[in-house]
Amino acid sequence: MNDMAELLHYATIALTISVPAIGVGIGEGLTGIAATEAINRQPKAQSDILKLSVLCMALIETAAIMGAAISMMLLFDRSHQSTLYASIAQMGIVLAICIPGFVVGVVSSFPAQQACNAVARQPFFAQKILRFTLITLSILQTPIIFGFLIALLIKSNAYAITSYAQSLQMLAAGLCIGIGSIGPSNGMAQFAKTACAGLGLNRNAYNQLFAFTIVSEAIIETPIIFAVVIALLIATYPPDSTGTISLLKGIALLSAGVCTGLGTIGPGISSGKTAAAACHEIAKNPDHYHLVSKISMFAQGLIDTGAIYALIISVWLILWT
Amino acid sequence: MENVDLLHVEYWKPFAQFGLTNHFFNINKETIISTWILLGLLLIIVLSIRFLLQSNYPTAKFVIIRFVDWFATISIQTLGRFYFNHFALVTALFIFIFASSLLALIPGIEEPTKDINTTLALGLISFLYIQAYTIKEYGLYGYIQKEFMTPLMMLPLHIIGKFATIISISFRLFGNIFGGATISNIYFNATQSYWLAQTLALGTGLNLTILLFFGIFEGFLQAFVFSMLTLTYLSISLEAEHEIEAAS
Repeated sequence: MNDMAELLHYATIALTISVPAIGVGIGEGLTGIAATEAINRQPKAQSDILKLSVLCMALIETAAIMGAAISMMLLFDRSHQSTLYASIAQMGIVLAICIPGFVVGVVSSFPAQQACNAVARQPFFAQKILRFTLITLSILQTPIIFGFLIALLIKSNAYAITSYAQSLQMLAAGLCIGIGSIGPSNGMAQFAKTACAGLGLNRNAYNQLFAFTIVSEAIIETPIIFAVVIALLIATYPPDSTGTISLLKGIALLSAGVCTGLGTIGPGISSGKTAAAACHEIAKNPDHYHLVSKISMFAQGLIDTGAIYALIISVWLILWT
Repeated sequence: MENVDLLHVEYWKPFAQFGLTNHFFNINKETIISTWILLGLLLIIVLSIRFLLQSNYPTAKFVIIRFVDWFATISIQTLGRFYFNHFALVTALFIFIFASSLLALIPGIEEPTKDINTTLALGLISFLYIQAYTIKEYGLYGYIQKEFMTPLMMLPLHIIGKFATIISISFRLFGNIFGGATISNIYFNATQSYWLAQTLALGTGLNLTILLFFGIFEGFLQAFVFSMLTLTYLSISLEAEHEIEAAS
């Protein structure tokens, strides 16, 4: 029993850092390839492309740093005896950190690659492309920050657990934010990729693209916010008078987490694709910004209803079952 | 490394003596204090800007006018033409949120936007303003018809969608600011516990990077996102009016 608990505890520590590191490694490698190709195409812009790619890699690395931070906190925290309940709950940390870390690590390289190409195309516009890329990339990192928050919450609750139902509860919180971040991260990356490419196509559209990118990325990540709300609700669900929750409640919480998590995948990806199409049109013809952006936002609002349905069902499962 | 207690908050319970001990009546001490400090500072800044604009300081004048001009351009771009009221509201929201993230640079004071109550209030302000403005433009019947009845079948969906916008806009701000503050807290706790780590962190400029990124950059970005989202929702609500203008 205790061996199993120790095994799970150390597996958590190892997985939390290694899986995000794989994603970050792939992402940085892709960025490096794109940077070398861009330098080959436009050798005069060498210093600009180098600066851009190094700064992008530093931002992509956020995922690995977060994983390392959680992993170290688990490793150095020697004040508790690990029980099987706590160890299973800690697998929730693995889900909350690893899935967003891996996905975001790989996916953040898409805009970085396109930005390298854009600088190669327009070397005199490098300063603004750099600023633009850094802002899009840092909005792309929000899933990891949310995953980190949920992981911290799970970590601080894990040792107070006295039943398998509560372990399921913590696992559900991690699962919710973990699965929930896959779709929106993909959508945001697809969008950011098109935005950076569009900047390379038409630099006169900079002002329009800047405003549109920030608002669109914020709207695309709305499903992640829903996932965070549900994960917070699940993780802070209070135990009853006996200090624990019933097994049925634990299963209901788990299905609530899965419900919102899976519900965000479709809306995230498709809303990203919608915004990417609109972004391409704006880059081609900035004068139509007002019309195109409005249609795009309206469509994204309708697409998000899918995630809202999942949110309602999850809230129902958490509060009234 | 210490165990970080995420949800521990000190509360004032002024209504407890009347028997009102529900969570609803608790007042978050830090938020109230820091919000009032922020409001005082903003008042001083606004008064000094007014003074600067009337006197001859070309640099200060230039900076202020550039800022106003930048925001005016953005609001014209999004709304189609210049509305003074919308512009004023959105700029005020931006300045408040950005200044509240800057406030955390002063030691001993936490940013008010770290508390969910503040961000929910800001979200409600922006939501209610948009609804009130739409009602004023279209009349109550026109508002209901436009916002809820476009196909009648979708009525429940529209109502839920309205609430979802409040949730998303306020939790986005809260999550980002709270996450950034928690991460920098953990970082500073970790480095301060050992002298070598502290010296290294100071010497390599890592402290400054963390502060710049999570304090200033993230605060600026989230403030901008919040105000831009308010503008965008406004522009969606004002849709029909522009079509008429464009047609005429």
